[in-house]
Amino acid sequence: MKALTRRSEGRSAIQRADEIGKRAEYLAFMLGNEAYAIDIGTIVEILKPLPITEVPRADPDVVGVMSVRGRLVTVLDLKRRFRLAPTFTMDKKSRILLVDAVDEEIGLLVDEVLQVYRLSESEIEPPTVLGAEQPLHVVGIGRPPDGAVLMLLDLAPLFVE
Amino acid sequence: MAEHSGGRGGSDGDKAREEFFSEAQEIIDGLSRDLLALDDVCRRGGSDAELVNDVFRAVHTLKGLSGLFGAAMMSGLSHELENLLDDLRLGRIELTPQVLDLLFQSVDLYGRILTAVKGDGPEPAAEVKALLAALGQVAQQKGGGGGSVIAQYELDPGLLAVLTEYEEHRLRTNLQAGLSLYRMRVQFQLATIDSALDELKAKTRPHGEIITFLPTGEGGDAESVELEILVASRAGLSTLGAAVAGPNVTIEEVRRRDAAPPLKQSIPPPRPTASEMPPQRLPSVAPPIGAETMDTGDLASDVQTSRPPPPPADGATPSFAPPAHTPSIPPQAGLQGPAGARDQQPRELTLRSVTQTVRVDIRKLDHLMNIVGELAIVRSALARLSERVRNDLELRELATSLNRLHRSFERHLAQMQNGILEVRMVPLGQVFDKLARIVRQISREHDKQVNLVVTGAETEIDKLLVEELSDPLMHMIRNAIDHGIEDRDERMRVGKPPVGTIALNAFQKGNHVVIEVEDDGKGMDPAVILAAALRRGLVTEAEAREMSAKDVLGLVFQPGFTTRDEATSLSGRGVGMDIVQTNIAKLGGVVDITSEVGIGTKMTITLPITLAIISVLIVEVAGRTFCMPLASIEEAIVFDESLVRTFEGREVMTQRGQTLPIARLAKLFQLEGVRAGVYFNEDAKTPAPPEVRSVGSRRPKGYVVIATVADRRVGFVVDRLVGQQDIVIKALGKSLKKVRGFAGATELGDQRVGLVLDAAALIAEVLERSPVISEARAPQLGHAESRTGESMAARGVALKEGGLA
Repeated sequence: MKALTRRSEGRSAIQRADEIGKRAEYLAFMLGNEAYAIDIGTIVEILKPLPITEVPRADPDVVGVMSVRGRLVTVLDLKRRFRLAPTFTMDKKSRILLVDAVDEEIGLLVDEVLQVYRLSESEIEPPTVLGAEQPLHVVGIGRPPDGAVLMLLDLAPLFVE
Repeated sequence: MAEHSGGRGGSDGDKAREEFFSEAQEIIDGLSRDLLALDDVCRRGGSDAELVNDVFRAVHTLKGLSGLFGAAMMSGLSHELENLLDDLRLGRIELTPQVLDLLFQSVDLYGRILTAVKGDGPEPAAEVKALLAALGQVAQQKGGGGGSVIAQYELDPGLLAVLTEYEEHRLRTNLQAGLSLYRMRVQFQLATIDSALDELKAKTRPHGEIITFLPTGEGGDAESVELEILVASRAGLSTLGAAVAGPNVTIEEVRRRDAAPPLKQSIPPPRPTASEMPPQRLPSVAPPIGAETMDTGDLASDVQTSRPPPPPADGATPSFAPPAHTPSIPPQAGLQGPAGARDQQPRELTLRSVTQTVRVDIRKLDHLMNIVGELAIVRSALARLSERVRNDLELRELATSLNRLHRSFERHLAQMQNGILEVRMVPLGQVFDKLARIVRQISREHDKQVNLVVTGAETEIDKLLVEELSDPLMHMIRNAIDHGIEDRDERMRVGKPPVGTIALNAFQKGNHVVIEVEDDGKGMDPAVILAAALRRGLVTEAEAREMSAKDVLGLVFQPGFTTRDEATSLSGRGVGMDIVQTNIAKLGGVVDITSEVGIGTKMTITLPITLAIISVLIVEVAGRTFCMPLASIEEAIVFDESLVRTFEGREVMTQRGQTLPIARLAKLFQLEGVRAGVYFNEDAKTPAPPEVRSVGSRRPKGYVVIATVADRRVGFVVDRLVGQQDIVIKALGKSLKKVRGFAGATELGDQRVGLVLDAAALIAEVLERSPVISEARAPQLGHAESRTGESMAARGVALKEGGLA
């Protein structure tokens, strides 16, 4: 049931912008030197760094598990997933984005949370501008008026086996 | 951001669907129970109109529900079943074992359809079709109703004309059974008619059965109505009259036309009938206007407004009232009043329990448990604070108050924890009922007569455990019938009673629940088992020579073990006992077998009462903290590197004269040198782990924690023992499902999470990787594993876990 809803969210960001009164809200964040943004609806909470317990034998991009008010949450390092950096250094600006994934909540380590952008249809380029074959989780390029360039992500494909 | 976090969780549609599943499942369970009771009555040569009605109502409700949720197959099946049951109610067909078989089949099919609707399995289309065809055949064998006994009574033809077929059937049956017929006229106020009618019914019930009630069209006014109520009863006019007496009630006996006293007319009843028939409807909405409302059609609205009562809370084997009074008792015997009044009570109690029970999603309880876990952390912080304040002489008074407060908090928290655990508990009867159905089905299919004797169905266990228990228990019972119980001739030959017995016993033993499955069959012959294991390459000749009788029995838990060369439909496919053991081990339990040739076999499952809270030993390995369930720990000893020996690449040490395989957790988890790859800068540092209590003055190099699961032992080498703690265990997220060796995680305080080791899985893993096996028996084992691997994969069981023996 939930997976179905997810799949429908996998449509292009342009379509989505169409549906929500021509504007969609994205939260922008930094992974290393690159700016990314995800649909704000999938974000449950933005957390300051919490102690994370490593899980032996887990996939390399799994940082570990943490407890968010009694709930166990698996934490992923997207930089390792996207092969941007082999390690993650937590500092004052680091945050953990708690997002709604398929059937569970997942924590994502990010270097910095920037701001929320409301993007109109004309401010979103299709992912194909980066080349014909793009991974499923890249749904578009956001170009807000302030000159930022944001890689728009759909998280669902990242959590599907 | 807040509004986004608020909008999570299932939509209304999801919720309704879940409600549908749980309600349908509940009804199907109840249906199964009623059928078992009916089967029992039927075997004694009786019948029970009330039970048939319960079954009818259940099927009717299922039809309604499935219609709402578009489960077409279920509603189609229900429709046909309803027809069959209607024929049964009206006495058009007889309740034979064959008809019961069909009904039992329908219960299984309902379960499978439900699974299919959930999307967890294929639709049993072919089976449903076959059942529908069989139902159709039964329907064609309908016989006609009884004679015209009704015509002998002075009944208004107008009244007879509006009786439904069912009412006519009940009237006829009662009259044939020699009961007297009474006509009551009762004045009801329209405003209170529902409750007044119910009250009247409750008064009448102990004495007889209400056949019908109709408005008379007389004596009423704008605010009241007069009903004529037809009652069949064994009681005399005075008894019944006293029972229902009221200002607006008149009652008279309906005489036979020939005016002969009923006593002299000895009409032998066709079959014994339960004397205390409850009314067939529970009309919560019964507008007494017009005869058409008396049609059975109004059952539909009844069922929608008042759902059938949930299964009895005690979950015991279904009880039923056997035909209490033999037909030889004179119909006029007026002695049944007090007994009837007593009978009335339990019914009222059942009704009350309906309104006082709530159905709770177990996840909500998990949530509450999480909060309790958090409060426990608050409590320990409070304890530390209290300790600190106590050391300050100036704050002595404050310290005393704080301490008192802390104690009180602790006590209430413990009560709350126990309260939640109690709510999670359900009687094992929930799963035993299903098993009773399976025993009946298998023994009929296999032409073996088996009697299932259940004790301790009221033993309570965590709801989650009950769910996980049904498959393993089913396998065990199948094995007991197929391999254990001999056929009738064989049993007679060896001087055993012709009917075999399977005892299903449950009882609580300390913090554990023990479930025994015991049969009085032919027992397990170690020689036969060993021969089969050798044939299948599960053991070598050399190993076989050194095995004790107990070791040999343990071989049946090996993947791929079977004594049969050809699979039967019941068991013997070589999958089963290993899965039983794996599933039980997953629940933190152990399976044992004892058997005596010619006498029988007893399998014993020992399980923790609840999974939610466990005691753990906290250990430290390479700077990480892990929790090991205390239940699987035998002891912890100081590690002495010099005692370690290697055998064919495997580390062992000698402990009390026994060889103990050991595994270094740091190596097993590859913790040496490799870090998680997350570094913390000074300003966002992880809180340091709490200070570790040093054990002894001379710190040893490490400890060996000896873990045991089902007779298999492995020593796990750790750096330090931190202490013992009761924890609330939580499952790891879906994304970590593939990671083996962990049963879950828990919060240890200071927001730190500790992983809980899965001792059974780790032991299996350590022993599985034995180089002895991989060198000496690789070809055979590989064969056996790939064979079971297919069937296990089909069952959704991870192959690795099957390696437990």
